[in-house]
Amino acid sequence: MSRFERKILFAIGLAVFLALGGSIFLAQGALREVYRVGVNERFGAELVHGVEARRAQLMALRASTELAADAVRWAVEAGVRSERETEALGPLLETLLQRYEVIQAIRVTDSRGREIARVSRPTTPGQAMRSTVREREATVGNATLLIAVEVAVPEMYFARLQQAGEAADVYSRLQRQSASVSDIYVWVFGVLVFLVIVVAFLLGAILSRRVTSRVAALAEASRQVGAGDFTVTLPTGARDEISELTQAFNAMVRDLRESRTRIEYLQRISAWQDFARRLAHEIKNPLTPIQLAAQEMAETYPGDDEAYRHKLEHARAIIEEEVATLRRLVGEFSAFAKLPSADLSASDLCELMQAIEDSIPAMLEDIGRGSGAPVEVRVSCATRPIPVRMDLMMLKRGLDNIVRNAIQAAYSTKPSGGGRVLVRAYATDHKAFVEVRDNGPGIPEEDWDRVFDPYYTTKPEGTGLGLAIVKKVVLEHGGEVRLDRAPEGGARFRIELPLTGPR
Amino acid sequence: MRYWISALIWVVAAVAYAQAHLPVREMRVDWDRGSPKVSFSARDLADESVRQELSSGLRKRLQVTVSAHFKGSNRRMAVRQFTCDVTRDLWEDGYVVRIGTGSLSFKTLDQVLDHCLAVKGLFVGEPKSYASREGREIYFYVRAEFNPISKKQCQELIRPSPGDDPVGPITVSIVRRRICQAERTLEFRSDFSRVPE
Repeated sequence: MSRFERKILFAIGLAVFLALGGSIFLAQGALREVYRVGVNERFGAELVHGVEARRAQLMALRASTELAADAVRWAVEAGVRSERETEALGPLLETLLQRYEVIQAIRVTDSRGREIARVSRPTTPGQAMRSTVREREATVGNATLLIAVEVAVPEMYFARLQQAGEAADVYSRLQRQSASVSDIYVWVFGVLVFLVIVVAFLLGAILSRRVTSRVAALAEASRQVGAGDFTVTLPTGARDEISELTQAFNAMVRDLRESRTRIEYLQRISAWQDFARRLAHEIKNPLTPIQLAAQEMAETYPGDDEAYRHKLEHARAIIEEEVATLRRLVGEFSAFAKLPSADLSASDLCELMQAIEDSIPAMLEDIGRGSGAPVEVRVSCATRPIPVRMDLMMLKRGLDNIVRNAIQAAYSTKPSGGGRVLVRAYATDHKAFVEVRDNGPGIPEEDWDRVFDPYYTTKPEGTGLGLAIVKKVVLEHGGEVRLDRAPEGGARFRIELPLTGPR
Repeated sequence: MRYWISALIWVVAAVAYAQAHLPVREMRVDWDRGSPKVSFSARDLADESVRQELSSGLRKRLQVTVSAHFKGSNRRMAVRQFTCDVTRDLWEDGYVVRIGTGSLSFKTLDQVLDHCLAVKGLFVGEPKSYASREGREIYFYVRAEFNPISKKQCQELIRPSPGDDPVGPITVSIVRRRICQAERTLEFRSDFSRVPE
């Protein structure tokens, strides 16, 4: 884990911990207050009072049944004079039944156990009742009557007492445990918060790793670039600031790579120029004495041997021809060695196109050895000016080489006509381009990187300096020249130059 | 592996500690056809407050759980539980005790306590629970509780508020355990005895 990652995780952890720790603290206070309001002694006392009231109600009902039984006894004693006068007993019991709701039935038996009167209330369907019998003895005359009073109250009263008692019981337990119950809530809340912290932390770690790994990759890539490796390229996926930074880094590395390539190439060209200068110097000096010596040998032969004279003349001709070739090479080497640096000034690329167009007829004449090569050359430029900073003469010299090569290639393939060369200049938003393409045989792809090296040539009489000069000139313009395959099948050279202003 | 061994040692030590600190009470153990019959008294569960509660007219529960364990182990070989729901009858004088589906009536509270807390010849487990364990030392653990609120009743009384609140169900579950536990609990164990050959 990197230090950066640790710092980010620490920041995430601190932020989450402070926020959620604070919430636990506040929740604890709030819960205790809510619990204190909801579960307090007053409510508990009221519940207990409710239970006591229901119990008192039942006890009162029980007392009322005793009173009702006593009342029945007294009424029987007052209303019946003797055991034989039982006819008044029925109406009397009916009256008592109507008067006392708690009484369900009254049964009167004589001393011998015979039932002498009975009244009962019709049962209410669907209502469970708890009943009991209160027995009384009534003295009537000399006899004793046994009165069984069946009293009943709804079962619901007992059930309600039980329910109230259980509610009061639970409430009482809650009240006793109030502190610990609110603590349980806080603990559960705390555990859940802790889980949230862990999840948040893990998510933070995963997300931060995605960021920090990209930052770490940038740091590692920077180290690689610092060590001289300009091939580093980082992937740019997400659309965020890190991605923008990565894109900028990639662009910077690409620029550095191109700059280094440019510098290396120019250094190499400079070395080749130095070599060409020395070579030209070393070869040029002995050429004149060689030529003069050959001429003198041929002209001052004193003998009469015609065959020998003829050999001398032949040798002189060969020497003069080779010396002339060497002089041409020396001239080209010398010109390459003296190739000046580009002197840039603000120009319109279309001026270069015009200059190229003007030189086309001479090129065709030269390549066709006086009869004009049958190659169609089209030169075009954008309708609007293409502002670039360029050395017109240098760039024309380089471009001449490319156009000449293109015409030669097209001519070599189609000497009797049909060869075509297209030269055009155009621009995009930030770049100007000059494109030269032909329908010649093209250049094998494996040679595309080498064609700009000095002294690399595929032509028997070529020096291999033309495209090297082109590249040097283009690089000095801050541009690039590339080779690929033209749509027509031949070669396509594309010179890229920076635009210097809006178009 | 080392952690598992240490955890096991801790568990064994904790069990041994708990057993050592559990009060030992005299219990009679008779073996009848391969099953132990235990007799003991847990009447001291009913202190003054319990007696008052039992006389309140509300239904109260006396619950006795007896379990057989190997010495030095928490592993339960057999368990037996019985419950008395005691209600003082406010309509008639006396007490109604419901055991399972049947009910009995008693005139006095002492009769109720004798019936529910003075246990005589209670079978603990089937013969198969003790088969092939002859000669091993065991003990009986007794837990007598006054008025534990049953799980079902507790769930009816303490319910989480409806909704998707994740805290509610968890918290209510813990609160239920705390609130619905017995109002008074008595725990003890027997002396160690051996499963007869």
